[in-house]
Amino acid sequence: MKPSIVWSAVLIISLILQSTVLAEINYNGIHADLLLTVVVSSSLLLGKEHGVVIGFFAGLLQDLASGTFVGMNILAKMLIGYVFGMAEKKVFKEHFLLPIISVAIATIGNSFITAIIMLLLGYRFDLLNNMIYMMIPLLVYNLILAFPIHKLIYRIHTLLKE
Amino acid sequence: MSRVRREPSSNKKIYVLVAAFTLVIILIFGAAKGKYQLPLSEKVTMTMLAPFQGIMNSVSNGIRQGTTAIWEIATVYQQNKMLKSEVAQLREIQLNTTEITAENDRLRHILDYKQSALQFDLVAAKVIARDPSNWTSTIVINRGADDGITKDMAVVTPEGLVGNVISVVKNSARVQLILDRRSSVGGLVQRPESRVAGIIAGDNNNKMMVRMVNIPRDADIVEGDQIVTSGFGGIYPKGISLGEVVNIANDDGGLLKYAVLKPSVDFQRLEEVSVIVKSREAPPTPITQPPVGSTDDKTAVNKNTGGSK
Repeated sequence: MKPSIVWSAVLIISLILQSTVLAEINYNGIHADLLLTVVVSSSLLLGKEHGVVIGFFAGLLQDLASGTFVGMNILAKMLIGYVFGMAEKKVFKEHFLLPIISVAIATIGNSFITAIIMLLLGYRFDLLNNMIYMMIPLLVYNLILAFPIHKLIYRIHTLLKE
Repeated sequence: MSRVRREPSSNKKIYVLVAAFTLVIILIFGAAKGKYQLPLSEKVTMTMLAPFQGIMNSVSNGIRQGTTAIWEIATVYQQNKMLKSEVAQLREIQLNTTEITAENDRLRHILDYKQSALQFDLVAAKVIARDPSNWTSTIVINRGADDGITKDMAVVTPEGLVGNVISVVKNSARVQLILDRRSSVGGLVQRPESRVAGIIAGDNNNKMMVRMVNIPRDADIVEGDQIVTSGFGGIYPKGISLGEVVNIANDDGGLLKYAVLKPSVDFQRLEEVSVIVKSREAPPTPITQPPVGSTDDKTAVNKNTGGSK
């Protein structure tokens, strides 16, 4: 099967899960960002060019499905895809700490980028408070997902290579 | 889609990348300012995702019902005790209310007051998906244009206001919750001696709370006040419950203050909602309540009101 079709399917399934099951188990309205963990893991395995493209489509899907602030998640996820893609050749891909550390960094980065965009769009809020309030539950959720998702993406990646 | 060319000059790649990022940034600020929209693509995504979201949602609902059932069995004794005391309280209030309703009817009749409580035509809908983004608060419901739903209709539950419809496709619609940062609803304090009006908007610092903003410093509003919709603006009918004031704080500007409200609707467990497709004044003959006890006075008044309108 063509890799592009497989990756598209992965993104769409992630989006559906994120907007239903994962959104259901939220803490104070904050829920896991499954698409982010998928973008991080796949760009770590595929490199920066693919990382940007996957980040772009993941963000696009998320923006279209939430129907608002079109472009916010595209930008954040593209940047994350690019940055983690750059690390592709420099990391040991099977180490179990890799996805956990990367997702932690990515979650903080993603929250920061989106918060800055919201501020630039003219929404007033206490940046520090908001980061802590939103980020801690988000970090917990994303870190729980990080390792199993990385394993899964790694599996898909090796299957596609064969 | 994921075929980016491998080995042209790396300069070219950087140009493409910079161009892509710039375009996205223009897109963000352009779309947010409402200069243009991507209506078609959004609607296509919604239409395509809705059936899958419906299926996934029923699965997760099943799981949740299972877990809540276990919890409820464990706490049933305590709950029963609480409910009993609540029933006693409510009975007392109900007695009072019947008296007041009768009095209200009588006074209305004396004043020949035309406007009476609105009646709503509702369409029940299931929540099939929530917002995949953490910055906004919207839900998707399983009713759409085919069921007579259009943009800007108010969405409620028996507890209070949920939000309004922001986009509609054939079989589903997206509802912006009152928790969303961009939502603003006209509200007022229900207490008869206050009736202070303000705007209810999503709280930027807490996703599950809303804020009543633009209240003058000296306005009469206290913790525990119930806030209802004011009907200003025309989207939301008047008198729908919004929430209860839990905290009041001064605005940075100096002239205004704001109140933090706990919404009446439990947004954590929002499963079914109703869309108000039509609201109109009560028909000439009000629905007569079944007589409670022997209140001859009240039935007489009801008849009177019925005849006069």
